[in-house]
Amino acid sequence: MPIEVLLVEDSPGDVRLTKEAFRDANDSIHLHVTVDGVEAMAFLKHEGTHVHAPRPDIILLDLNLPKMDGREVLAHIKEDDTLKTIPTVILTTSDAEADIVKCYQLHANCYLKKPVQLDAFEILVKSINDFWLTKVELPSQTRGG
Amino acid sequence: MFPKGNNANSAGSPPTAVIRDLSMPNAAEKRLAPKKGRRRLMEEALRESQEQYRMLLDGIEDYAIFMMDPEGRIVSWNAGAERIKGYRADEIIGHNFSCFFPPEDIERGRPQEVLRITAASGRHEEQGIRVRKDGSRFLASLTFTALRGPAGNLQGFSEFSHDLSESKEAEAKYRGLLEAAPDAMVVVNQAGEIVLLNLQAEKQFGYPRDELLGQKVTNIIPEGFAERLIADDLRSAEDALAQQIGTGIELIGRRKDGSEFPIELMLSPLRSAEGTLVTAAIRDIGVRKAAEKHLAQMEGRYRGLLEAAPDAMVVVNQAGEIVLLNLQAEKQFGYPRDELLGQKVTNIVPEGFAERLIADGLRSAEDALAQQIGTGIELIGRRKDGREFPIELMLSPLRSAEGTLVTAAIRDITARRTAAANLLQKVEELKRSNEELEQFASIASHDLQEPLRMVASYTQLLSRRYKGKLDSDADEFIAFAVDGASRMQRLIQDLLAYSRVGTRGSALFDISSEDALRQALLNLRGAIEESGALVTHDPLPTVSADETQLIQLFQNLVGNAIKYQGPGVPKVHIAVASDGGKKWTFSVQDNGLGIEPQYFEKIFGMFQRLHKREAFTGTGIGLAICKKIVEQHGGNISLDSKPGHGSTFRFALAEGERKS
Repeated sequence: MPIEVLLVEDSPGDVRLTKEAFRDANDSIHLHVTVDGVEAMAFLKHEGTHVHAPRPDIILLDLNLPKMDGREVLAHIKEDDTLKTIPTVILTTSDAEADIVKCYQLHANCYLKKPVQLDAFEILVKSINDFWLTKVELPSQTRGG
Repeated sequence: MFPKGNNANSAGSPPTAVIRDLSMPNAAEKRLAPKKGRRRLMEEALRESQEQYRMLLDGIEDYAIFMMDPEGRIVSWNAGAERIKGYRADEIIGHNFSCFFPPEDIERGRPQEVLRITAASGRHEEQGIRVRKDGSRFLASLTFTALRGPAGNLQGFSEFSHDLSESKEAEAKYRGLLEAAPDAMVVVNQAGEIVLLNLQAEKQFGYPRDELLGQKVTNIIPEGFAERLIADDLRSAEDALAQQIGTGIELIGRRKDGSEFPIELMLSPLRSAEGTLVTAAIRDIGVRKAAEKHLAQMEGRYRGLLEAAPDAMVVVNQAGEIVLLNLQAEKQFGYPRDELLGQKVTNIVPEGFAERLIADGLRSAEDALAQQIGTGIELIGRRKDGREFPIELMLSPLRSAEGTLVTAAIRDITARRTAAANLLQKVEELKRSNEELEQFASIASHDLQEPLRMVASYTQLLSRRYKGKLDSDADEFIAFAVDGASRMQRLIQDLLAYSRVGTRGSALFDISSEDALRQALLNLRGAIEESGALVTHDPLPTVSADETQLIQLFQNLVGNAIKYQGPGVPKVHIAVASDGGKKWTFSVQDNGLGIEPQYFEKIFGMFQRLHKREAFTGTGIGLAICKKIVEQHGGNISLDSKPGHGSTFRFALAEGERKS
C-alpha cells in the first residue's frame, strides 16, 4: 500500500531535494507537491484539478508560501474536523522563536528546521520516514479517503 | 515740661512784681490827689487798701516778706518769713536783720553792705546762705528794695526771699528727668540763646555746660534751628514754632572740634516768664544715617546684580503681583517695565507660577513656596504680543517688610528645547539606522542562506553522484564549488550570529558561568576529542549575563585556543579573579601559537585573519563576536600573548546578585 505524502513547498530546488531524499529512504512513498497555500487547500479538499487527490498520510508544510502562507494553511487544517487528524510537520528554513511558538499554538504536530548541509537534510528526511511513516500509529480514518 | 521759675535766676520775678505793687499807695495818692474834697474818704480807702495788702503779704507762705527801718531793724513779718526763718513775728520784730546771716558774713559786715548797696541802687538781688532760728543754714534767693518817701528820703527796706533748697528739690526732679533723657536736650529762648542743657547735650556737642549756657544755639546747630524761632511778617514767633512742633527735623549738628554730624530735632514750646522758650530734643542720627546709606548702597548693588543677571528676574508678592523686575524680563516678555509693575504675574506666566505661591488647607504660603525652592520648573511664558515660549523657573524666597516675596529667575529655554529635540531626533535617527543595519545584516544573511543552501546541496549531490564518472577536471571544479559554498555558509552563519549579539540579549540574568562553560565545552566536544586537548578551569562564579552569549563567548575562545595549536598536547585553562568589587575577570589561557603584539588590536576586528586559509579554517568573525558580546555586557576584552608561548584572553563580567 503506497504512502501518500503532501509536500507544500514553492522552491523547486527544495522539492527536488526532498524527493531525492524520500526516494532514498522509502520507495513506496507517493510524494504530492503543491506550490502555494491555496493549491494545498484545494488538494486537501479535492477541489478543481485535485478532485481525485488522495487523502495524505502526512503533510510537510513550508511556512513562506505565495498566495496563502503556511501558517494560514495550518490554521485551516487544524480547524477542519476531517483534516486535523493528519499529522502536519512544519519544514522550514525559519528558526524564529515567534514562528515556532505560533505553529505549536496552531497545533502543528512538530516543527523542523531545514538543515543547511545536504547530509543533515537527508538524515532528517530519513528520520521523518522512520518516525511518522513507520513507527507512529494513526487512527484508521486517516488512511481512508 | 518745665515749671515756671525753673531757672534760679528767674525765681524772683513774680514776687518782684508784688514788691513793685507796694509802691502803689504812693501812686494811688498821686492819682487821687486832684480830688482834695474827698481826701478823708480817700485816706480811709487807702488805709483799707494798705490793710488788704498787708493781709495779702502776711498770708504768703512760700516767700519771706518783711520790712526794715533804714538801720535794718525788722518792722513787719509775714507767714512765709516765719515758716522759712523760724521766728515768730513777736520774737523778731525790732531785731536787726543781720541775725539771718552766718557769723562769718556778720563779721565781714555783709549785712550793712547789703543795705548800703540796696540804698545806692534802689534794688539788690542775691543768692546767699542764711541761718534759721534753730541755727540751720539754707540757700536763699533774696531781693532787697529800698523804700523811699515822696521826697526821696530813705524810709527803710523790704526783703523778699525764698528758700532755694525747696525749689532746688523740685527742680532736681526735673533736672533728673532731663539728665536721664537719652537725647541731648537744650532749651533756647527767643533770642536763640541756650538757657538750659543736659549732660547728653554736653557729650554730643563736646562742650562743658558753662561754655554753652547763654551762647547762641547756632554754635551747635548752625542752620535750620534758630531760623525756626523767628517771627516774620506772616507769623508770630509762636506760630513759627507751632509749625515745627512734634515733627522730626533733620539738620546738621556741629561739635566743639568742628566736626559735623546728622541730627534729628524735636521741638516743643515752653511758656515761661521770659516768654516762650523752645525745648529741643536732639538725636544723633549718625548711625541711622549710616545704616540708611549702607542699605541704599546694598540696594544699589543688588539692583546692579539684578540688572546684570542673564536671566529675566521678577519679584512677586503673595498676591501674585510683580513688584520688581529687571531689564531681561522687559526684553523677554516684550513689555516696558511700567506695564508690568503691579500687574499679575499670570500675565506673563499664565499657569503654574502663581498657583505655587498660594496656601491651601494643607500648607501655608511659605510652605507652598518652600516646596518649590531651587527646583527648575518648566512652564510656558507669554509675551506681550501673545507669543508663547518655554521657560524654566527657579524660585527663591525673599523676606521683606511686605512679607515673603518670591524671586523668580526665568530662563527662556527655547534654544535648549530645540537643541534637546534635535538631539533626540538625531538619537532616534541613529537608533533607527542602527536597527535597520542590524535588520539588514540579519535579513541579508538569512535570505542569502536560502539560495546558498541550494548551491551547496546540489554541488554536494553532484559530487556524490558523479565523482569519478566525469573527467578529473570536472571532479576538481566540483570540489572547488563544494568548498566555496561551505565556506560561504559558515561566513553567513557567523555574520548572522554577530548581528544577533546586537539584536538579542539585552536582558541580563544571574547565571552560573560554570554551567555556561560546561555547555560550550559540550558544543566543542568533537574538536576537543579530535585534538586531545586538556581543558581545565577554576570554580566559576555566578555572573550577570546573557547565557546564550556567554556560552558562545566561551565556545569561541576555547575553540580558538584548541584550533591555533602548536606541536604537543593543547592545554587550555579558564581562570577567574575578583577585583574585590563588583566584577569578575575571566581569563582563557592556552599554550598555543601565540600572537604578535602588533595584532592584539587587529584580531578583534571583522574578517581579520592572521593565517592562511589552508592552515586554519575560519571566517575571521569569531573574535569580533567575542568583542561584541563582552561590550554588550559593559566590559572589554583584552589579550596578552607571546608568539610560541600561548595566549591569554581576558574579559570582565559583573558579579551576580547571589553568590555561587
